[in-house]
Amino acid sequence: MPCRKAFLTILILYVLATPGLSALAETYSVNDRPLNLVGYLTQGSAFSLSNGKYYDTEAGWQSAITTLLIEGDYRFTDNLKVYGAGMFLVDWIYDAKSDAGSWNDKLFSRSRSELYMDDRYWQMLKEAHVTWTPGNFLFRLGKQIVSWGETDGFRLMDQINPLDQRRGFADVEFESTIIPIWLIRTEYHTDVPWNWLTDLRFEAVLNPNADFIPNQPIKLGNDQGGIWAPNILVPLGPDTRAYLGSPDLDLRKPSAWSPDGMELGLRIRGTIQDSIITLNYFKGIDNDYVATSLPIQPRTDVAPDGRLVIHPAMKGYYPDLQFAGITFSRDLQSVQSSFLGGVAPVVRMEGFYAFDSTFANDINALEKHNELRWSLGLDWKVKISWLNPRAFVAISPQFYHRKIIDYPSDHELTGLDADNYMTTLMVKTSYLNGKLTPSIFWMRDVTTQSDMYRYQIDYQYTNNWIFKIGALVLDGNIEGKGFQVFEHKDQVYFSVSYRWG
Amino acid sequence: MKNNSRIMAALLVTGLTLVFLTSPGLTEEEYRLTFDQFEQAKAFYDDPRPILKEWPWKRILPAEVYRKLTYDKTAMKNGWAELVGFRAPELVNRIAPEIKPGKYSCADKEKYPGLKELMWPTMYERFKPGGPPYPGNFSAFEVVPTKQYYPAMPIIAATMKHLDQAKLDDQGYLIENTYTAGLPFPQPGGKHKPQQIVYNWVKGYLSLENLYMLQQLKGYTAGLKEDFDSKAVYWALRLQARAYMAPDGWYDPRSQANGEVKAFAMQYLTPRDLYGNVITATMYQGWNDYDQFMIYLAALRRVRKLSGTDTQDAVAGMDVIYEDSGMWSQKITPEKHPYRYNIIADREYLVPAYTEDGAEYLGKHGLEWHNLKFERRPCYVLEMTQLDKSYVYGKRIAYIDKETFHILEIDNYDQKGRLYRTQTTIWAWHPEFGSYGMWQTLLIDHLDQHATWGMVYGHPATWINRKHVGMRQLIETGK
Repeated sequence: MPCRKAFLTILILYVLATPGLSALAETYSVNDRPLNLVGYLTQGSAFSLSNGKYYDTEAGWQSAITTLLIEGDYRFTDNLKVYGAGMFLVDWIYDAKSDAGSWNDKLFSRSRSELYMDDRYWQMLKEAHVTWTPGNFLFRLGKQIVSWGETDGFRLMDQINPLDQRRGFADVEFESTIIPIWLIRTEYHTDVPWNWLTDLRFEAVLNPNADFIPNQPIKLGNDQGGIWAPNILVPLGPDTRAYLGSPDLDLRKPSAWSPDGMELGLRIRGTIQDSIITLNYFKGIDNDYVATSLPIQPRTDVAPDGRLVIHPAMKGYYPDLQFAGITFSRDLQSVQSSFLGGVAPVVRMEGFYAFDSTFANDINALEKHNELRWSLGLDWKVKISWLNPRAFVAISPQFYHRKIIDYPSDHELTGLDADNYMTTLMVKTSYLNGKLTPSIFWMRDVTTQSDMYRYQIDYQYTNNWIFKIGALVLDGNIEGKGFQVFEHKDQVYFSVSYRWG
Repeated sequence: MKNNSRIMAALLVTGLTLVFLTSPGLTEEEYRLTFDQFEQAKAFYDDPRPILKEWPWKRILPAEVYRKLTYDKTAMKNGWAELVGFRAPELVNRIAPEIKPGKYSCADKEKYPGLKELMWPTMYERFKPGGPPYPGNFSAFEVVPTKQYYPAMPIIAATMKHLDQAKLDDQGYLIENTYTAGLPFPQPGGKHKPQQIVYNWVKGYLSLENLYMLQQLKGYTAGLKEDFDSKAVYWALRLQARAYMAPDGWYDPRSQANGEVKAFAMQYLTPRDLYGNVITATMYQGWNDYDQFMIYLAALRRVRKLSGTDTQDAVAGMDVIYEDSGMWSQKITPEKHPYRYNIIADREYLVPAYTEDGAEYLGKHGLEWHNLKFERRPCYVLEMTQLDKSYVYGKRIAYIDKETFHILEIDNYDQKGRLYRTQTTIWAWHPEFGSYGMWQTLLIDHLDQHATWGMVYGHPATWINRKHVGMRQLIETGK
């Protein structure tokens, strides 16, 4: 079966990568209506900066991911259009390392079924939707993305679409991380008579639960999480610790079309005196599950270093999620300084209050609390002539706070304190007429005292050929928390991408 | 949740059905040239076909719209001559009169040294066979007789009606409430003559009042290798001082209350990384009211607020900053990046002629500009010295047609006095409308040695309204 899949993959890529495909890229006219087709083929790879002595780390090449995306839209009339996007993703590392001893000994090869090829229908059919805009209405039906929120790098208000994070934090295309789902989206635009308020829109999003697709997080255990499996040690005795492996998880999911999995989102958006403000409400299902351990003997393996790998038996479900929130963004023109180049910063804020969120705790139970999540970000372009005499430097700091209301005093919630803080900083500029773009991204998990650093250079040789090289460094001070569990995953990564269109 | 969801689903289905059943049908047909028609009529390279003859506005506009927007040419000529005080043919043939209408090539450079005198320096520098480092050289052209150009009759009427009403303050800035419509200073003069010329450009009607435009641009390295290819659709709506497309004056009460001057939206179709991005901007009258920028970022599927003061970085892949768009679109305010203006020449030049046929083209070999027609035009050369040392440019020099007040070329220098970016444009001319539009344009970044050459086709679009240039366009057109 794997051989057949590999053959089919090569065949598909060969057919699609022939020069004929470039003919697909362009704008056409069908029945005097515009048809646009674009796409890309990206080959990425990552190389470990660790020597592979750790159980959770493979030395050398980590991944060899090929991503092919073709997307397009067609307008039947001025107010009726369709959009579709298909993607094919395969990680050749599973073929390249199939005979490697440590790859098999450390059970990475067993994660092939999870990470080798994205061949499920919802992975290959990314988006497929129809948009109809009669009068002041907008209706969009189909597999789509509804993106709420203002924050980059982590999600707050943006809770409707699930994420695919199985392949970690290295360079991955946007299209391979966000998962479009089947939604009905309706918007109504109203022209209000007040000059201080413009573009007032009402939005309703219904997830009919045609197919329940939750978040795809980095999984526990090398046999499921592959090279991104976190390194978590569990104490067995005073001097003995075991690796935490993949759980034997009894996970309850809403069945397709079941009302239990339906979701509703409501949003009002308006522009007030140069500020974009939204009010948001969501009632649905959390895309992350909560789980507790079952009181049965866990399955075990033995790692190559002789340490036990424990596969805990767990049961879990996807709890309800209900929140009301606000987003705000504004150009702070009064803050501009000629000394810094005269560009005013844009402030972005979002926050929500969630009701009765469900948490797992360290006494193997679930409990409910209200919670508050908010973030504040700034996009500021400044002129630093000694660093870049021709282009501005974009600086984007963000601050995030998650507060659990009525946090228990006698035990802890798994992975969370009463107050949890995170900061990020993105610094970016460009040279050579925008062709060369170096950037630095730093994410600090203040609560767990851990950090992620990403250093990256993008080189746009042409708008068709784009090269990327970067390094990812992960670090933490508290064992088992935050980015510390990934601190053996430091890596450099490369990609070359050919874009059509 | 179960009951709520069922009720919501039922409501949505009912609502959809009702909207479908009661919808009056599709919205009014939005007549336009499609990209496919554009490309079929004129290939990007090596295509001398006269697209403006094959696709005149008359072929695109409904008959009723065409009838409303066309006027008697003689009346327009006479009206405009009365306002500006001359007809262009009267002001030319004074420099190098030996250069007569006819065909010229590089071989004639020695024979006709007057050609050098008749062209501004950067233009003459491009008068050579195509080749690195930039596209847009020309080795041959035809000199055609100078024509008289004029705006549409309602603009002439508005200019006449409000003649001498527009006033500048002591520093030469327009007192906005003195300007109503038309060109504010058809016969610039006096202490602030340079600023009056500037305001004729700023308040001019070059971009029509409701404009739909298709844009194809390609970027080139110093080796003339193509490294950027972009297609975009553009919608623009003039919100202040409307004169020839209904409604007159302010577009609506909102534009008047907020001092909104213009709004536009641009949707990228290619390259792939820009596909699905849509940008909107609204410009304001107030000195401290900077443009309101919003972008639908396809990569994030989000509408993002952008800083209205982020105007000095090069636009992705191109050799232009936001404030260079349409030749020069910087906000004129004493509060930010003010200039000292000076007219350094008032004379005729031999310039790429306004085109009526669109037969000009770029040759693939050497990226040479072919089929060019040149015309003697009376011009102002306006030097604008930037007073803020932090601004990207230290100086701009604009070559402005004296009869149309259009910028024909603009040369931008950095703070060290080095030639940084230049833009040269061939404008399209639609005589029966008294209207113009950008046709072909050459942008050069002389410091990074990169260039962009593009073709643009725009036409009046009475169907454009607020929805095409605001949040709705972002959401409904974005990916």
